Amino acid sequence: MKTLVVDQSKCAGCRICELWCSLQHEQVANPALSRIKIVRSHANYFCLPVTCTQCVNPPCVSSCPNQALSQDEQTGGILADLEKCIGCRKCLKACPNAAISFHTQTRKAITCDLCSGRPICVTRCPMGALQYIDSAYAHRPSLENIARHNK
Amino acid sequence: MSQNQMGGLAGKILRVNLTSHSYRVETTNEQYFRQYIGARGVGAKMLLDELKACIDPLSPENKLIFLTGPTEGTIAPGANKITVTFKSPLTGTYSFSLCGGSLGPELKFAGYDGIIIEGKAEKPCYLWIDDDKIEIRSAENIWGKLTHKAEDTLRAELKDPAVKIAVIGPAGENLNRYACIQHDYHREFGRGGCGAVMGSKNLKAIAVRGKNTVYAHDQNALTQITLQVYEILAKHPKANLRKAQGTCEMVNGINDLGFLAVRNFNDGNSPLAGKVSGTEMKDNYVFGDVSCFGCPVACGKNCIIESPKYGKIKIEGPEFETMALVATNTCVHDWNYILKAVDIIDQYGMDTITCGGTVALAMECYEKGILTDKDTNNIKLNFGNGEALCQLVEMIGKREGIGDILAEGLKYTAEKWGVPDLAMHSKGSSFAAYDPRGAKGMGLTYAVSTKGAHHMFAPTFGVELAQNNRFEERGKGTLVKENQSFMAIVDSMSLCSSMRFALSLSMQLDIIRSITGIALSETEAMEIGEKIVTLEKLFNVREGFSRKDDTLPPRMLKESPDNGPCRGQSINLDVMLDEYYDVMGWDREGRPTPSSLDKMGLGPYKDIVV
Repeated sequence: MKTLVVDQSKCAGCRICELWCSLQHEQVANPALSRIKIVRSHANYFCLPVTCTQCVNPPCVSSCPNQALSQDEQTGGILADLEKCIGCRKCLKACPNAAISFHTQTRKAITCDLCSGRPICVTRCPMGALQYIDSAYAHRPSLENIARHNK
Repeated sequence: MSQNQMGGLAGKILRVNLTSHSYRVETTNEQYFRQYIGARGVGAKMLLDELKACIDPLSPENKLIFLTGPTEGTIAPGANKITVTFKSPLTGTYSFSLCGGSLGPELKFAGYDGIIIEGKAEKPCYLWIDDDKIEIRSAENIWGKLTHKAEDTLRAELKDPAVKIAVIGPAGENLNRYACIQHDYHREFGRGGCGAVMGSKNLKAIAVRGKNTVYAHDQNALTQITLQVYEILAKHPKANLRKAQGTCEMVNGINDLGFLAVRNFNDGNSPLAGKVSGTEMKDNYVFGDVSCFGCPVACGKNCIIESPKYGKIKIEGPEFETMALVATNTCVHDWNYILKAVDIIDQYGMDTITCGGTVALAMECYEKGILTDKDTNNIKLNFGNGEALCQLVEMIGKREGIGDILAEGLKYTAEKWGVPDLAMHSKGSSFAAYDPRGAKGMGLTYAVSTKGAHHMFAPTFGVELAQNNRFEERGKGTLVKENQSFMAIVDSMSLCSSMRFALSLSMQLDIIRSITGIALSETEAMEIGEKIVTLEKLFNVREGFSRKDDTLPPRMLKESPDNGPCRGQSINLDVMLDEYYDVMGWDREGRPTPSSLDKMGLGPYKDIVV
């Protein structure tokens, strides 16, 4: 199974990923409706892409009081049943990455379903900051990062 | 959020009256956007219509007209430049300034095509725009703060790291005539002194947060064009060079051709310029890339230095223009001093170009004995003295000592010291990076630019180099006429001008059509561009500007660089002005004629020129 991996040192903060994610899922390009979110630290001069990391036994799924969330067996992406979702935000509290957002109009959970296995954010990122790789190797970019930057 | 008849617009304009501490949400005048595209174009129309003639730019009568273009907030690449239009306290002319980053898109997401700031607040305040919730809040706890601290404090106060902020620094507060408005730490509405206008209104900052959608007329078409543009940019050599090195990739090329700003434009070439080139920056100081909203190029470069004297310095930049005016023009090539100086300028909130040009003037005056140690508080203001550069820019930011004079700008300063010919400006605005003796079209551009000397009014040097006629005056009137119209379109669409070197006009018009639904031919678009420039010109004519103000310093007209590729070159400005006025259909005093105004549908403004 593959997972999303972020190289934060390459993120330039363009937010093209947010534009394409929202376009893909909501048919409009609006960062407020994106699954992936870019958080900028001005004082520290970096941008951090916040994404779902396709947890094993995802806490978001188990925290939902209505069983509205489930994990796709093939991709590991998180699926939200919007009929069952009540927008209580328990999933957000449970998520270790705070990577769940809520639709600005419906108020219901917006989760990353990995675009059914071909995540558009990874395809569109102009800086190569996002990768979609085998979970067995997902930790390697982080180690490389530490070795390379050590700042 | 409802869909407008014309796509791309948010539909509302926020008009704020700081005197009465009130605001009004107006419906966007769609006609203006149809006629003038947006941003710069609509701003020119509104400034001319809303301001009376001959007001004091630092009085409550001036306005700050912030406007986005129809492309902002959509997926269109590089669609992120918001403009502010105002009467300049530096030049006394019409002026506008562009800012990148993410402010423009956020304003569209909040539901506004623009903000008009009028009047003057009784006490320091800031404007908070949170979708349709508007507040004018006290800024007393951030007044006086440097720009970064002010931004940080506001983000903490508003409990949201994603708030987008435009802020002035102490320079704007103390009415430095070239104070800028800062955004996202290192992006600016740079030129013309808009920061001083904001300071004169007691407005410290504008904070914006929005979550709405900006609808395109034909999203599918826009999506397709966007993908095509990504492809073009990915393969484009210039885009790749900018991605790799940032805009300082230009340093070596312009220096080798002998028309870089060096030693207050006494020279056009420096053997030391290589030390501040894009490769030098990339190899030694860059630790990250930065992009404005929606742009795949990422030409912004984060730099870091561990300075023995100043400690750790981190900034985004310097950009090419900054490097030319603050470093090569002052002959400072030591990165400790360059990064420190640019950091100070950004923190106090000043235009790096005008600041650099003013410091270089002061250095020349010091070396010629016009300024003494007594005047400079014993600072040895020689060209190349990096420590002096850093001390001086801080004094300017604080209006301390000689900084108080320099804060008025290079034209005022040179006249005050009895040496008006030593200021390299037109209408009070500093030259940009290009010595116009090395590309004569730039001389015409500087002289006729409606906002005073500015390279982007009509950056002709690229064409002049390609056509191998940079030392000729002939034909430059026509070239500027065409180039200025093209730039007016780009600036009105809110596209970053870095898109223009990769996208043809026809492709830009495709983008406009997919977003707004408006189909413009290239001819029609160029006519709109010319109309926009004419409106800007009319503002200036009404203020009393004419040919006598379309000038260049004697150094450009009568002196030449001593060596290098531009050896022996000086500028015959009159012949270029004559050609330019003729092709524009203006009289030889540089004023639009009544019949030319009629022809372009600006007949109602004829009273300005009779």
